[in-house]
Amino acid sequence: MPAIEQRGRLWAVLLPPALWLSVLLVAPLLLLCAFSFRLGIGGSLFGGWIATLDNYRTLAANPSFLELLGLSAGIACVVALVATLLAYPVAYYLVFRVRARAGVYVALLLIPFWISYLLRVMAWKVILGSGGAVNAFLLWLGVIQEPISVFFYSRYAVVITLIYVWTPFVALPIMATLYRIDRSLLEAAAGLGATPGQRFWRVTVPLSLPGVLAGAVMVFIPTVGEYVTPLLVGGSTGAMYGNLIQDFFGRSANWPLGAALAVVMLVGTLVLVGATSRISRVERFFQ
Amino acid sequence: MERQIGRWLVPATLVALVVLACGGEKKQPATAALTPESTGTLTVLDWAGYEDTSMFIGFHHKYPKVTVSVAFGESDADIFGKMKAGADACTFHIYTGWQPFYVRDSLVQELDTTRLSHWAEVPARFKALGQVGGKQYFVPWDWGYTSILYRTDKVPGGIDSWTALFDPKFKGHISMWDDGPGAVTVATYVKGWDETKLSEQQLAEIEKMWTDQRKLNRFYWTGEPELVQGMAAGEIWVAYAWQGAYNTLLGQGVPVAYAQPKGGRNSWVGLYGIAPACKDKDLAYAFLDEKLSSEQGVGLISAFAYGHVNPAAYKSVTDTNIVKALALNDPTVLDRTRFTPIVSEADRDHFGQLWARVKAAQ
Repeated sequence: MPAIEQRGRLWAVLLPPALWLSVLLVAPLLLLCAFSFRLGIGGSLFGGWIATLDNYRTLAANPSFLELLGLSAGIACVVALVATLLAYPVAYYLVFRVRARAGVYVALLLIPFWISYLLRVMAWKVILGSGGAVNAFLLWLGVIQEPISVFFYSRYAVVITLIYVWTPFVALPIMATLYRIDRSLLEAAAGLGATPGQRFWRVTVPLSLPGVLAGAVMVFIPTVGEYVTPLLVGGSTGAMYGNLIQDFFGRSANWPLGAALAVVMLVGTLVLVGATSRISRVERFFQ
Repeated sequence: MERQIGRWLVPATLVALVVLACGGEKKQPATAALTPESTGTLTVLDWAGYEDTSMFIGFHHKYPKVTVSVAFGESDADIFGKMKAGADACTFHIYTGWQPFYVRDSLVQELDTTRLSHWAEVPARFKALGQVGGKQYFVPWDWGYTSILYRTDKVPGGIDSWTALFDPKFKGHISMWDDGPGAVTVATYVKGWDETKLSEQQLAEIEKMWTDQRKLNRFYWTGEPELVQGMAAGEIWVAYAWQGAYNTLLGQGVPVAYAQPKGGRNSWVGLYGIAPACKDKDLAYAFLDEKLSSEQGVGLISAFAYGHVNPAAYKSVTDTNIVKALALNDPTVLDRTRFTPIVSEADRDHFGQLWARVKAAQ
């Protein structure tokens, strides 16, 4: 095939997604960065632009905003860790025990996601709310005298809900790495006298780590900026950093400050994920 | 053949994408007089609850083949942000305090009030609220109060002060609206301050009030249905609320009362504007005109317990609860009402940041 024709085909394949990403991802990100240096939103969106560092100064003058970013990163770490710990046995069971029917089980695992997220949260409310099943049961037992709100409208509720949401997703990359493990390595370990526990800890776990880390990172990144779950189940004290960004873009109509908050989060998350990836060589999962 | 396809594919894709990106704006159609057979879609940016057909029942009866498509905003700032971002809304609904920002940013067009047959029925007091720089940009429509709504079975002693929202007695059963300017207004009523002239020290005090209040508050409600659900379920006993929630709960048989706090009720007036980019202004004018009729007013007041700008509607309201809630039998009520003032953009930014700090506090 002539080289020029090959190049034409390559362009034909690459150009649409490249344009798509440029228009819908890169351009909005650049606009976000530009807005973070804009003074107010008066006037037209692209005109009357006065460059300023005021939004970053405001951010620096409000330490509680950055503290909430730190707390949100902490929550994201906990959610990623617990979701990964819960997902690993599921993935292991599906790959090494179920095998042939694993597809059916994966489909079952993902069935809750066919239902609207709002409906699932409402179901949680029925279970965990002050008039919900858990409170009713504890009242009946006499453990509590009046319904308690720690299960719902709290930061704990946010963490529990996020773990519930993410666990099935983390199982998928872990399954992918477990499938790729060469079974002859396990057989060789057994032949050399390794116990099942030793085979698991010294062969399976190390070889599945790239998938584990990829899954954890996949949870961590969106959870840092999460705002829907805290809005629905967080109550007055369960706000996360994403809620502040949402507020500045929505209720407060202060897009430049919201953009500055978003840029700081974006840079912080990229640095953190970049460092983790470098240390753990998570890129091996994608090779 | 393959080479030919390869040669044309790239430029063809580029052309298609450029055409798509540009959107190919349609030329505005020539408007024709509306008839009961008129068709089309009118897009409205409004608040949750206003999508109910009874909110525009006159228009619906007159033009049954026109679809009213309602998109939602959850606060004035949210609606302003959406309009600024280019929301595809022909007409939009805001509340007092935000009018000048729309005019400044050319998000609203000056109205030709001669196209509104019910315009003469609207009192000058309301008309003036829709004017900026002496020009009429907005049609006033609904009005009402902000006060404290409470469950009479849970709070048998009743409530007569805004301080109830800060009362530890109701810990875990209070719900405040998720809105910075609203929070500042309440605090100024408690303190007796002017919300348009707040010092740094006063703002700091307001911030502390609401930060301390967080542990008493169950959740910040973002839409009236969320509040209604919380009160009906018995989770919320005391809440910052509009009288529409009061009426909805009364209709559901929930024991509630709407307080007359010592600091006075806050009041607001809703206004509709027409976006300059509106493609079918005939529909927009017809929609607003029907909204101003006294028949629509009776419907709005009776079904939702919201006030209407056409006083001819008041005498037809027979529900004593609503007459009492809105004080419709008191001709001086509007003279004594504390309408939300227009605050500067800088102050709004301060209020927004204050509220964000309250929510971010650990």
